[in-house]
Amino acid sequence: MNSIVISGIITAAVASGAVLVLAALGELLAERSGVQNLGLEGVMAMGAVTALLTERLFPDPYAGLLAAIAVGLTLGIVFATATVVIRANQVLCGLGLAFLGTGLSARLGISVSGWPAPATFPTFRIPFLADLPLVGQAIFNQSILVYLAYFILPPVVTFVLYSTRHGMQVRAVGENPGAADVCGISVSGFRFAYTCLGAVFAAVAGAYITLAYTPSWIEGITGGRGWIAIALVIFGAWRPLPVVLGALLFGAVTSVGFVAQVQNWGIPSSFLSMLPYLGTIALMAVPVLTRSKSSRRIGTGPAALGTPYYREGD
Amino acid sequence: MTAANLTAPAQRWHLRRRSDVPGWLSALVRLAAVLLAIVLVGVVLALGGLDPLALGAKALRQTLGTAYGLEQAALLATPLIMTGLAVAVGMKMRLWNIGVEGQLYFGALAATAVALNVKGPAPVMLAVVFLAGAAGGMLWMLVPALMRAYWSVNEIITTLLLNFVAVLLVGYFVIGPWRDRAAAILSASPRLPYLIPVIGQTYMNYGVLVPIAAAIVLALAIQNTRWGYEVRIIGGNRRVAEFAGIPVLRRILAVMLLSGALAGMAGMLQVTGSAQRLSGTISNGYGFMGIIVAALANASPLAVVPVGFLLAVLLNAGIVLQTQGLSVNAMLAINGVILIFAAIGEVAAGYRLVRGDPEAAVGPAEQPLRSERDDGTVGSDGLGVNRTS
Repeated sequence: MNSIVISGIITAAVASGAVLVLAALGELLAERSGVQNLGLEGVMAMGAVTALLTERLFPDPYAGLLAAIAVGLTLGIVFATATVVIRANQVLCGLGLAFLGTGLSARLGISVSGWPAPATFPTFRIPFLADLPLVGQAIFNQSILVYLAYFILPPVVTFVLYSTRHGMQVRAVGENPGAADVCGISVSGFRFAYTCLGAVFAAVAGAYITLAYTPSWIEGITGGRGWIAIALVIFGAWRPLPVVLGALLFGAVTSVGFVAQVQNWGIPSSFLSMLPYLGTIALMAVPVLTRSKSSRRIGTGPAALGTPYYREGD
Repeated sequence: MTAANLTAPAQRWHLRRRSDVPGWLSALVRLAAVLLAIVLVGVVLALGGLDPLALGAKALRQTLGTAYGLEQAALLATPLIMTGLAVAVGMKMRLWNIGVEGQLYFGALAATAVALNVKGPAPVMLAVVFLAGAAGGMLWMLVPALMRAYWSVNEIITTLLLNFVAVLLVGYFVIGPWRDRAAAILSASPRLPYLIPVIGQTYMNYGVLVPIAAAIVLALAIQNTRWGYEVRIIGGNRRVAEFAGIPVLRRILAVMLLSGALAGMAGMLQVTGSAQRLSGTISNGYGFMGIIVAALANASPLAVVPVGFLLAVLLNAGIVLQTQGLSVNAMLAINGVILIFAAIGEVAAGYRLVRGDPEAAVGPAEQPLRSERDDGTVGSDGLGVNRTS
């Protein structure tokens, strides 16, 4: 393999990993507050199609992004109302949201199916760093959303979660909502807000797909990335930096498939397309294998994840 | 707070949690969820300038109004009941098999492989192909089941991701090695040499009886055997089951593999039944609709049968109305809405609207229902799926 191929793999890994970083960090925040949103795939698809539909009227990537954020927020409010306010079963509501978003986006996207996005996020070249060998072009000549995904969000999320009082409150709500409630923290408020924020992140990830990564829409363009993002949160053991690394690793697996296809290694494309899904399943075993034998059977994650919170007599 | 309020206890309407949700209410709430979703679709259609009532009447006439429509619904109900059972058996133990679609496809692939390559008398071969389908579904579930049982790896994600792999695998075979070169059908295998016989002068085949038999066997196994009792105990409280000496891990494995086998049978029934050949379209999202069937049936195997038929009628109505802009994707979206409504309805059924003093002491009978999360799994509370129904 020559350096052009390697550089190409890294570029593709960074670009496809960014989708996952955005969605997974949002899911991480929601899950840290105790709410698992299995509807990520649907929200992402809705964000993706909304961004492109908006661009038909306003050919400006920021208009598309804003519209996607609005749709993500709306779906987040619907999901949070069902699961946090009404306290309905999170698995069923999440699956419902996934079906709703996937089906609705495919229906709405018929009119723009196959069209190239009229305006995309431009790449923003960072001087000097972009001239580095191998990684320069891959990391420092990308769109602004990629920088957001790798350089802004992970440190911000890490800092907020671990170094601020607010972040401790978020984690308290996810670990022991009863104790958080005693301390005067609004369990429902935190969960509602972070569930909505997670949905917004997923919609932004969707907008990144249609406005920068592969600037067009076809049915099923999200290709299970919403589910993979949820898997990455588990892989990263609900910590931001391992989640980012997992996304990059995943991106590398995906782009090896691309390269194999382009270089014609003789593997049928169906099998190459399976790589991301099989790779993700393999990734999910990693945190288990790194634990001691005795603790392998015990799941990790926020203790109150997926459990609605009731005060006594509520 | 005024003095008047203090002297007379407030007599106003408020919500109080029920200690137990009666079965009829639970069923009513689920029916309401479906109806509400249909009304919502009607509103959307009306906003789009269509006449929802006329469309609904047309759909009803063409599904329930004719023998042909009813037979089509029965054919559609076959995979829906099987996938519904596959999800329901997992829900008994708070396990979510979201990979029914993939197991269905891989079961169909295994069944097709045997049917195309092994020769023998038709009745024997049908039985062999049936077993191959079940084995295929089980095999597709094996890795998620082992990972769930021994490593507590979230089965929702692993089973779901394998859906994509199964669809790609089937796509590879029907476009590549198994492609039917005789018929003018693109991307499908040749017609299978062994098909389930058709019932008399109808469009139905005897495969429609399999889901009913499966539901009865499953209900008996869960209700009347030691194994079923242990499964219900584990679903109720895993820690209690462990203290009682029930082999929890083996039961998890068995239930998940059984779930995969049921899904694989659904795939076999498709390729040897109404589809007659393997293709990428043998399932219109039946695996995903199975989740809705199981949720609406409250994970009760016997209830899965009527619910599966109800959703088949709905799906058939959607197919009838396809020319009016209802697509497979619109049906998927509607299914999502039904699922969310059903989950909300389940909570609503847990409350009573009572008139009286909201501050009055809550008696022991009114203690809130609580879902204990005892095994470190992602919570799957509510829905009463753990009740011994």
